[in-house]
Amino acid sequence: MADGKMRVLIVDDANLVRLYYRQILEEEGFEVEEALNGLEALERLLVSPADALIVDINMPQMDGITFLGALRRQALPLSAIPALVTSTESSADDVAAARAAGANFYHVKPIGREVLARYMAMFCGAPQ
Amino acid sequence: MPLIRSKCDNAAAGVLREEPASLASASPDERWAAARAACDPACISSLGDALALELDARVRQAIFTALARIATPESAGVILPYMRVDDASTRTGALDALRAMPEAARPHLPGLLVDPDADVRILACDLVRDAGGADGPRWLCAMIETEPQANVCAAAVEVLGEIADAAAGPCLSRCAERFPDDPFLRFAIKVVADRVRAETPAPRG
Amino acid sequence: MAESELLDAEEYRRLCDYLYRRTGMAFTEARRYFVERRVEDRMIATGSSSFASYFARLRVNMEGEVEKLINAATVNETYFYREDHQFTCLTSNMLQERLRVKPPGEVLRIWSVPCSTGEEPYSIAIWLLENWPEVDAHDVEIVASDIDTNVLNAARSGIFGKRALMRLSAGLTGKYFTRAGPEHWQILDELRQSVRFTAANIVAQTETRPHGLFDVIFCRNLLIYFDDTSRRIAAENLYESLAPGGYVCLGHAESMSRISPLFEVCRFADAIVYRRPLEAKHG
Repeated sequence: MADGKMRVLIVDDANLVRLYYRQILEEEGFEVEEALNGLEALERLLVSPADALIVDINMPQMDGITFLGALRRQALPLSAIPALVTSTESSADDVAAARAAGANFYHVKPIGREVLARYMAMFCGAPQ
Repeated sequence: MPLIRSKCDNAAAGVLREEPASLASASPDERWAAARAACDPACISSLGDALALELDARVRQAIFTALARIATPESAGVILPYMRVDDASTRTGALDALRAMPEAARPHLPGLLVDPDADVRILACDLVRDAGGADGPRWLCAMIETEPQANVCAAAVEVLGEIADAAAGPCLSRCAERFPDDPFLRFAIKVVADRVRAETPAPRG
Repeated sequence: MAESELLDAEEYRRLCDYLYRRTGMAFTEARRYFVERRVEDRMIATGSSSFASYFARLRVNMEGEVEKLINAATVNETYFYREDHQFTCLTSNMLQERLRVKPPGEVLRIWSVPCSTGEEPYSIAIWLLENWPEVDAHDVEIVASDIDTNVLNAARSGIFGKRALMRLSAGLTGKYFTRAGPEHWQILDELRQSVRFTAANIVAQTETRPHGLFDVIFCRNLLIYFDDTSRRIAAENLYESLAPGGYVCLGHAESMSRISPLFEVCRFADAIVYRRPLEAKHG
């Protein structure tokens, strides 16, 4: 945080999805970290917290909903990190489960550059 | 001397009971033990019955492991319905178990890739990564030629990013043309197409 | 720096994703130089002319390439006080946490598996004697296991060469070893007697179970060599071998996040370790 950049942790098992978010967010002035599933995300956050999260639902070992539930049970400040859930799953059950687990927003993929940048700016306060 | 050495096995160790446990026991610890002991193909149907009723995540995990360990197309078949349940952690458990038994999962893949449920097709793409073997690139290339859902194509392209060779180039281009408005798919296809093109050996002579 | 980059960014990502999924080793951008050098060595050794051809070889595990790359990436070598930040964590955190929940007077049990030629379990013994002020107030049992009976015999004899002792100060070497030849040292009888060596395959429940319940298990750089199914079975065996609230330590490049959801991740000042939950989670 020496350069004052806001840190976003992307939690998604798909390499190209993470790369896509990373490129957009880096161009928008964010610092980006990646985790490939919910357990790895918890591990990373315990080492260095993020300012915002982008979380997929279906991931190996720990899905996004279980991850958010576990995150919200952590101590502050981890428990309060805002999270955007992005998923291909558009069923009402998934949306409700994500909300109940502590998602701040739910967005069905695909997600375009402007929309993604807007969510993150909202979470972090616009960078610069 | 503070460092001690126990005289025999189990001393100071809290000896574990060795009773045959039941998958239908009221105790999660006993169900866990029973699932762990059930690693023979004869146990497939009782594991399947137990899976349908199990609410404890840890025991469910042990049942999935037992089925993965049996590793037959039948034991994989018991898991398939759990790819379409509402509970995300159960779906994850099912997928992880299928990933652990690629040979056993392989016969199911062609059917899963044309499943009527798009969410199942998406999950099936990821299974192709390890379970598809030499057929994997061909299956996914065929899929993205006709698959109507952009998110399913995106899941296939993700896996092709790891397993595809130059032969995938043309069908990647055609897929991109079918979904000109999907920003992620456009990006993903470009990354993969650039890679396979760069890896294509230049014609000799 | 450009000339040092063997892989382009996309190739490095693809390799790291694959290694994480296949082995549970997690490498970030910060480790790129290290990983690239190992890959470069393996590409030369296998005569691979491009990353694409090497990656294809790795994916099908041709001639055991996965294991060979893991060996290169973990520096497959054992020596005293290796990754001693986990030993610091043992004496400053894990044992204290265990003592808080254990009935008074109960033996603290530590398992080193795989123990190879004994450097790890003996390191633990020396570390406790040197760095744990409470060592005289508690009984500690150290059990060390390996699947390979040849290394167990070497471990029991407790004779080590210079390389194994390189991280120990002359003071510690003088205190806990006697000279056993021009280039060799033998660990004191008292320490040799304090560690119990047993044969055990961590994937075989019938072999792990008789060892009973442990407070802390060191299982470093082993699970990375396993396939998914063996890794699941091993994780379940580790879970069963831990007392509720007990800890398991993996190698520093390893992450339980790829292996099993059975454990909780715990961050202490000196190490990330994994804990069997105190109470089983239901639902």
